[in-house]
Amino acid sequence: MFRRARAAAFALGLFAAAAAAFASPEQVKLRLPLKAKLPLRGNERIALAPFILVTDAEKARDKRLQNVDLQGEFHRFLKKQLEKKTKFEVVEAPPDVKLPTQNLTELARASEFWAAVGAQTNSEIVVSGSLEFKVEDRSGYKTEEYTSPIDGRTYYRQVYVEQTGFLFDIVFLVLDGRTGEKLLQDEFKDFRQTSSRKADELQGLFENLFSLENQILNTFVARDREAERYIFKD
Amino acid sequence: MNRSRTWVLTFLLVAGSCTSYNHPETAATQLKFGTDVAKKGLWREAAFRYEQAIAKAPDNAHAHNNLAVALEANGDFARALTEYKKALELAPNDNYIRRNYARFAEFYTSYTKTTGKAASVP
Repeated sequence: MFRRARAAAFALGLFAAAAAAFASPEQVKLRLPLKAKLPLRGNERIALAPFILVTDAEKARDKRLQNVDLQGEFHRFLKKQLEKKTKFEVVEAPPDVKLPTQNLTELARASEFWAAVGAQTNSEIVVSGSLEFKVEDRSGYKTEEYTSPIDGRTYYRQVYVEQTGFLFDIVFLVLDGRTGEKLLQDEFKDFRQTSSRKADELQGLFENLFSLENQILNTFVARDREAERYIFKD
Repeated sequence: MNRSRTWVLTFLLVAGSCTSYNHPETAATQLKFGTDVAKKGLWREAAFRYEQAIAKAPDNAHAHNNLAVALEANGDFARALTEYKKALELAPNDNYIRRNYARFAEFYTSYTKTTGKAASVP
């Protein structure tokens, strides 16, 4: 009888050990703070200057890009987001402000020009940079696995897949409006793919922009982001 | 006689496991309670519970991992790093702790890069 009790206790112990070994942890979500990349007070006056449009050369070839006013749409988006989610005063640089160069490195070094823009708009911060937006027709034949219902064997076959890709690449130049010196240069990139051939380019553009929104705003103000971690119960 | 002894033994086993659940001072109970409150978003209380668990069982890798997560949620990243390292030291092959540490390291490196608060994660 004693032997049976010992066997029962041993089985119970084994069960407890196995349960502990297979106890899976719990997944929890945290919100982690992202400090602003620039140490600003938060109520500065920011001037939005023109951006270099990298897609200009391709516009002539791609009819779909001709319909998109990239400069205007991006300015509108940035101004709206900054006004809605920060306490900065946002102004547009006057239309007669023309960039002194189309080279980004030279543009970042044009401190006299930026100081003049800062004085003209009475802004402490000036934002410029470059914008690249590409619409890519990615339709074509792709290889996929196919299991025949007749003989059950796996074959490879070519299928025609219609896809459009939207690529948005933004280089941000943040400049001191008083000295014209570069405060920060940062790049944000996003690629989206839709499963249709003639997806709307403006819709694609805004999908790119909304996915970059948090990163763009994080240049100026603190944001947070969601993270997942595992915690154990035993 | 033997049969009654078996019943007594079984009763003691079951009773023992039940009573340990009610003892707030054991590491296991603190850990479980900490995780319950963490799931409700009460991270300060969770951190306190995990600290209590570590005080009872300093070599419990799970408790160090949980404390690291709670500290991270409370914004105490430097201490979270120390706790993650301790958890990994105690359980170097635990995939969940390794995954947590990798994700934390990615975040903490970019966080320190933008704030310059501490040296980057090695």
